[in-house]
Amino acid sequence: MPPARSRSVNGKASPSRPQDIDQLIEQEQLPSGRDDLAEPPVAHSQRERLLVAVAETTAEKGYGATTIGDVCTAAGVSRATFYELFKDKEDCFHAAMELSLADAMGSIVAVYSPDKPWATMVRDAAAAFLELLASRPTFARMAMVEAPASGERAFQLYASGKRVLQSLLERGREDPVEEEAIPTSAARAALAAAESLIVGQILTGNTARLPELLPDIVYITTLPYLGQEEALRQAREAEREHPAADR
Amino acid sequence: MIARSQRERLLDAAIDVVAEKGYAKTTIADLTKEAGISRTTFYEMFPDKEACFLAAYDVAADVLARRVASAFEAAEGEWPARVRAGLEELLGSLAAEPAVARLALVDFGAAGPAAQRRYRAALQRMTPLFDEGRDFAPEGRRLPANTSRMAIGAVVGLIAEEIEAGRATSLAKILPAVLVATLSPYLGPEAAAEEAGRG
Repeated sequence: MPPARSRSVNGKASPSRPQDIDQLIEQEQLPSGRDDLAEPPVAHSQRERLLVAVAETTAEKGYGATTIGDVCTAAGVSRATFYELFKDKEDCFHAAMELSLADAMGSIVAVYSPDKPWATMVRDAAAAFLELLASRPTFARMAMVEAPASGERAFQLYASGKRVLQSLLERGREDPVEEEAIPTSAARAALAAAESLIVGQILTGNTARLPELLPDIVYITTLPYLGQEEALRQAREAEREHPAADR
Repeated sequence: MIARSQRERLLDAAIDVVAEKGYAKTTIADLTKEAGISRTTFYEMFPDKEACFLAAYDVAADVLARRVASAFEAAEGEWPARVRAGLEELLGSLAAEPAVARLALVDFGAAGPAAQRRYRAALQRMTPLFDEGRDFAPEGRRLPANTSRMAIGAVVGLIAEEIEAGRATSLAKILPAVLVATLSPYLGPEAAAEEAGRG
């Protein structure tokens, strides 16, 4: 059996961070989740209704089969108003996607602190993200299932959100461990694994139970950086910190 | 006999045309033309474009799954060695048909929720091959319930990224990364890296 990696999982975080999370988000030109929508009140509410409607309709019918008529009907907004606010279906979908991503980044920013040990940060961020998805099943489906398959712009937004998460995971390399054992594809593989599990859960209609996946996701995301024994311990701790009964 | 071969031609045509034009732009006329069948014959077999595409997707996924499974079964040695053989076959098959690979692993979602479910079902079928890895976890370590689902997700995720980056034909190059992603959740990262370095 390989020796367990010793690592300052419970110790203090390294003092100098190359970038903080706000910089990462900015670098990807993502909305930070901290800006208010700046429209006049009526347009604002119509716009919001359309954004909710596009999420609901695409979640139900799929992006390809969704028409502007469907979105307007679901929102109770006229076609003329739609075209005052958005260029086309893709534009509206993209705006809804930006909003979702801002929320997702906001949920992670809220629990992020450079003083937390890396493994705690991963666990708290994963927990916050799963809770957010569970509390907004329509947006969860749109952002995780429809967006990656709905055209170049939404795909790029989705990809940049993923890059932020990858950078956060890659900080698992910062403490001196046997680095050569961590493959360059570690963060991409771990996120793909977590993503696939989440999408599968959404597609089977179990979005509300996403938070139960926390221990699995903590395991797979910390595994390349901490080793198996420690990743299993982190998963058990996640189970204790966020017990299933609370969900 | 003739009806069967027309159906086969149509399913092949569906994969080829959708891979080339994209699902949204593909018309039934494109499919009948490519397959060399009449519109009437098409509607005798399928009610619409979606049903035809889904049937084609099932066949393509089935062929791929069987190839991977037989490479896995035929390989000598223990589970890690057989996983290597299965993944080699998967990467090789996809690299040989990049348009199909793109359709199967990246663009399937454009065909709507039913296609999404087909894709997930195809992934699900790989689970038994992965589950064998549970026996290779170091003693006393209980792996999370969804370990195999996540390992499969990592494999297809890494492959999809290559295809998206336009590197479908050189997929064989990522075998070590895919192998480590498959083995680490069961064996742990160090033992997985060792296994991947072998061969």
